Amino acid sequence: MAHDFDVEFIERGDRKARFLVRGLTPAIANGIRRAMIADVPTLSIDSVRFVENSSVMFDEMIALRLGLVPLTTSLDDFEEGDEVTLALDVEGPATAYSGDMVSSVEYVQPADENIPIIELKEGQHLEFEADAVLDSGKSHAKHQGGVAVGYRHLQKVEVVGDTPEFDDGEPNILRGVIETEDGELIHTDEFGNDLTQQFPGKEVEVSDVPGAFVFHVETDGSFTVEELVLRAVESLGLRAAELEEKVSV
Amino acid sequence: MELRVIEKTDEELRIEIAGEDHTFMNVLKGALLETEGVAAATYDVNPEQSGGQTDPILSVKTEAGVDPLDAVAEGARSIQAMTDSFRDAFTAA
Amino acid sequence: MMIPVRCFTCGNVIAEHWEEFKSRAREGDEDPGKVLDELGVERHCCRRMMVSHKDLVDVVSPYQ
Repeated sequence: MAHDFDVEFIERGDRKARFLVRGLTPAIANGIRRAMIADVPTLSIDSVRFVENSSVMFDEMIALRLGLVPLTTSLDDFEEGDEVTLALDVEGPATAYSGDMVSSVEYVQPADENIPIIELKEGQHLEFEADAVLDSGKSHAKHQGGVAVGYRHLQKVEVVGDTPEFDDGEPNILRGVIETEDGELIHTDEFGNDLTQQFPGKEVEVSDVPGAFVFHVETDGSFTVEELVLRAVESLGLRAAELEEKVSV
Repeated sequence: MELRVIEKTDEELRIEIAGEDHTFMNVLKGALLETEGVAAATYDVNPEQSGGQTDPILSVKTEAGVDPLDAVAEGARSIQAMTDSFRDAFTAA
Repeated sequence: MMIPVRCFTCGNVIAEHWEEFKSRAREGDEDPGKVLDELGVERHCCRRMMVSHKDLVDVVSPYQ
């Protein structure tokens, strides 16, 4: 079975993208979506050794916050289970930020540097060493690289006539990406999600385009959207290769 | 991924694929249904909390003369072809 | 106590924008909705994290 895919970006950024894929089956689209959420691993702080914590929060509360800080992850350099150590030493009065952490590996850094960990008052002191581990979203949500990953059918909008003279003028709300008769791709946000704004005075018909899926992918900053999608697809391919090998023995 | 054959005849196969979930199984099932010589393909998974058998079980039935294990290998090959062409299409865009 | 690092619902990192939001919309007099738009906090699940948050470190710190 030959696959002929066609990918088109509607919105493209490092951390947020929207793209259309033609030629997918629902099974493959869902496989890719699920792999993006649960199977692409990211680094995240998993255990913390506190040297001193005289802040108003307990060790466990700070450790939880640290786990949620996304760390830049280059998947070529790590395998699942690999660890990286980060350290922090802040004395009050000051706020300890995610960016204050010093990493043992240069290219593993907090993806966002302005996340307040804890506000320290006069005389309070926070010092710890933390181990970040590479693991997948299956084991803990903090290892999910993808945030708000989903897809919708591409919707075709056809003008079938004019609205009647005494039309009640109700809005015609639609969400997602539409394809006009000229083949133009427009996100419904651009016209307030109301088809009567885009096609004033026209009667329109909306239908799903078979095999065409519009993915919306955001990452937490651990890696780019492209990396996330390609790693997700790769993980499906690797599992298929493993199955083929084991079944052929 | 650990495989354990539960039942195997010339045209039927039931196999446990440990460590996998819907992510891969549904893609595999979809590929098998489009594979030449496969009469029926499905899988069953029980929820994590149910206790007992929670690993997915793949069931494949083939037409006469086609070994179901070969059909599964063929399905796995077509998934790899699919992921390769998706990667090419995505990087080209 | 402190602003949650991520949105409870979608997992987006929101703490990154807290201090700017606080200085502009809480301590300043800008419209919170506009500030959130500019910060790129789009979804209403993430927006409610910011809008409904109250820092409590100052309240509990005398009792340590």
